[in-house]
Amino acid sequence: MKTEFHFRDEDLRPTTHLVDDLDLDSIDAVDLAVRVEEKTGLSLNEADLKSIRTIQDIVDLIDERL
Amino acid sequence: MESLSRWGRIAGTGISFAVFGIGGLVLALFGFPLARLRAKSAQEREKRAQYQVHLAFRFHVWVMKKLGVCTLSVRGIERLREPGGQLIVANHPTLIDVVLIGSLMPQLDCLVKTDALRNPFMRGAVLAAGYVPNDLGEAVVSACVERLRQGRSLLLFPEGTRSLKGGELGAFHRGAAHVALRSGRPIRPLVLHCHPRFLSRGQHWYDVPNRPMGFEIEVGEPIDPRKLMRGDESRGVASRKLTAALRDFYQARLYPAAGRGAGDAIQGRDLQVGRRPDEDGIPFPR
Repeated sequence: MKTEFHFRDEDLRPTTHLVDDLDLDSIDAVDLAVRVEEKTGLSLNEADLKSIRTIQDIVDLIDERL
Repeated sequence: MESLSRWGRIAGTGISFAVFGIGGLVLALFGFPLARLRAKSAQEREKRAQYQVHLAFRFHVWVMKKLGVCTLSVRGIERLREPGGQLIVANHPTLIDVVLIGSLMPQLDCLVKTDALRNPFMRGAVLAAGYVPNDLGEAVVSACVERLRQGRSLLLFPEGTRSLKGGELGAFHRGAAHVALRSGRPIRPLVLHCHPRFLSRGQHWYDVPNRPMGFEIEVGEPIDPRKLMRGDESRGVASRKLTAALRDFYQARLYPAAGRGAGDAIQGRDLQVGRRPDEDGIPFPR
């Protein structure tokens, strides 16, 4: 997330809300999903993306699938 | 006398809304079907419908000027006449911005709220002119880029909605930046000045000011995204930078006295509109 969007470490906590705190938009969400897929080899569907609200949600999702 | 003219302008404003509504219905019932009959392709049909909308907007602006609702002066209008589709971006102080800008451009695509499809006065025009619905998510950007590739001009308001009545610039969405980056088109900025301010978000239509809304539209030099970008950035970073640069441009044009980093005044203004976290800490390409 740092390289894709240039966020700072201190702004990225498990409870950080992607839309409210980091102001991600629908295009960012797609880019983020692509990055996650590249890194983990998982394939995410639309429902997965919709379920993600915070950074912890991404971690949980990856945990669950791997 | 003052109050008389005020009541006159309230009536004038009411009549202007009526003109908009009736115009929309007349075009839907007579104008657009006619354009449809003679058009060979969807593109041609939409272009004709947009031309009819343009004529209707010109008439509407003429009526508003005659009724003392507003005045309009445009600086640099010849820049809008340059050939090829232009990516036009504007700030959004009032309800009638689209009407004013549309009255200057014979062909203009724009982004519309899906609510407009439920509005009987607007539905016909939105469908016939092929305006881009704003609820397509990421596909909005591709739809806009496609319009530009067809040589069509497109209007986007980065604020997404009207500015609040206090006049502060709203937070900018990054869609316009994405369209510019992906299409490689320069951004043609329009700066709308409106004094006294009226028909902003949160203002009642009958709270008319004591004189006509004075509109001044400034057609700016193009902003070329490729000159601002290094080229190796992710689109997440590039769109944030371009959006921040664009908002800075508008802030400077609308509030030249405040300036960037001028201290409390501009800080206060930014806090009021809810500055987005991403707009801080990003170095500005100059």
